[in-house]
Amino acid sequence: MNLGARRMATAKSDDEAFEALFTAEYARVVGIANRVLADPHEAEDVAQDVFIDFHRLHSATAQYAPAWLHRAAAHASLNRLRGARRRQKREVAQAAEEGDRTLDPQKQLEVNEDRRQVRHALGRLAPRPAAALAMRASGLSYAEVAQALGVGIGQVGTLLRRAEAALRKEVTRGTSN
Amino acid sequence: MAHLTEGTLRRMVDDPDARSGADAAHLEGCPECQAQLKAVGEDARSIASLLAVPEARVDVGRAFERVVNNRKSLPALVRFPILRPSARPLTLAFVAAVAAVALVVVAFTFAGLFYNPTTVRTVPVTVADMQALSQLADYGTLTWTKEPQLQATTSAADASALAGGLKPPVVSKLPDGVSTTVTYGAMSEAVASFTFSAEKAAASAAAHGKTAPKMPAGMDGATLTITVGPAVGEIYGELKQPSGSDPSQINLPQLVVAKSVSPTARSTQVSVTDLENFILAQPGISKELKAAINAIGDPSTTLLIPVPVEYATSTQITVQGVDGVALGDNTGVGAGVVWVKDGHVYVVAGSIKRDDAITIANNLK
Repeated sequence: MNLGARRMATAKSDDEAFEALFTAEYARVVGIANRVLADPHEAEDVAQDVFIDFHRLHSATAQYAPAWLHRAAAHASLNRLRGARRRQKREVAQAAEEGDRTLDPQKQLEVNEDRRQVRHALGRLAPRPAAALAMRASGLSYAEVAQALGVGIGQVGTLLRRAEAALRKEVTRGTSN
Repeated sequence: MAHLTEGTLRRMVDDPDARSGADAAHLEGCPECQAQLKAVGEDARSIASLLAVPEARVDVGRAFERVVNNRKSLPALVRFPILRPSARPLTLAFVAAVAAVALVVVAFTFAGLFYNPTTVRTVPVTVADMQALSQLADYGTLTWTKEPQLQATTSAADASALAGGLKPPVVSKLPDGVSTTVTYGAMSEAVASFTFSAEKAAASAAAHGKTAPKMPAGMDGATLTITVGPAVGEIYGELKQPSGSDPSQINLPQLVVAKSVSPTARSTQVSVTDLENFILAQPGISKELKAAINAIGDPSTTLLIPVPVEYATSTQITVQGVDGVALGDNTGVGAGVVWVKDGHVYVVAGSIKRDDAITIANNLK
């Protein structure tokens, strides 16, 4: 590649940078929201809102862009989870989609109830532990979670533990044996 | 060596990087920590299985198109994201920040600046103080008893009508280089109540690994009623998104001039002194902020403006015969002037020189 071509490749316009950022991060942002909401369609709604807000206020070339998107996805979806308006709808969708065919019907009912409870509890958790858990569960590394929340990597374990201990308390059946 | 913390053990469950060094050596020889690691690991796995969901299959190309089309249909800035009560998640953070600032303001002023919703540069505050203060929003429940109506219009009369007859201030002479394209913005009067809850405070602090200071007697369940606006203002310059990639320039209009009825805050159950002491006792509040607040002579009549120290400088000036504050410098990157006169808060701000901002302020009609 000659110098001119290289310069053209690196000197992207902001729109191109945004497209590149979108392509690289969209699936991950949806993944975080889906982990919280257990509803792929709603997760995409959240992700698109997050990208629109990002583009309106920030430059896609900003170093903090991925961390910002991850954090926004976690908080945005947790906020939706807290909205009572859609709770019922979600539970129906969740029960239909998450059926684990290997379990007997009684056991299946219990697992579904636990899953419902755990999301309900997730919405009541303090924002940071809940966000840490959502991001980590959707596959972000400890370093990425730390960056998104603006904490040291050593604190991520503490946040996760806090979230899991709180959720564990809420769910008594199915996991207590 | 003391036993490993639960946080350290939690990280050992699924981060290979954590399984080395002194912690790993301790674990090796400590049956208690090993048992704890097992319990922590079981919790982690059971929660992970309950959070498991079918993978979302996404069409990135189509999603991108939708976002780009949506984005183009939105006017930048005009949405006044900061005070929109039916806020989306991002703006909820702003509302929380505003509520936190309100609490501080309430402690020190009953006739001062509440917040400046048009000065974009004071919003993305990342100072430790702001983080500590923003947690105060979790110490109770904020409800809007009267939601603000926000509007951007090209008509001064329409803006005035929404703002209960408040007339937009008139700029006598614009500095060179400032566009004469003007958009009027208006906000109706809004009333919000914040109800303190000792239980929520304790839970919030605990969630952040801190201990909340004890609430003064009578504060649990006490309600603060905060009234903001009405307000009107003018925004000069194109409201389009700039094409450059300099984030400090995005969405910053060339010039904003605004006037608001001074906000008020009332509580029958909490005294100003109690509230001030409680706020200053929060973990994370810097010595500098405490000293600055303690240095204020009469907190009930003093205007308090949160200035992010890393990003802005401020000086005390005289505007229209009263005390005011000037922010920014003479580079033209950004400057603002704030003052309170006859029951109104005035703001002049924009990507102009500080001296120009002061001149506009002094000649505002």
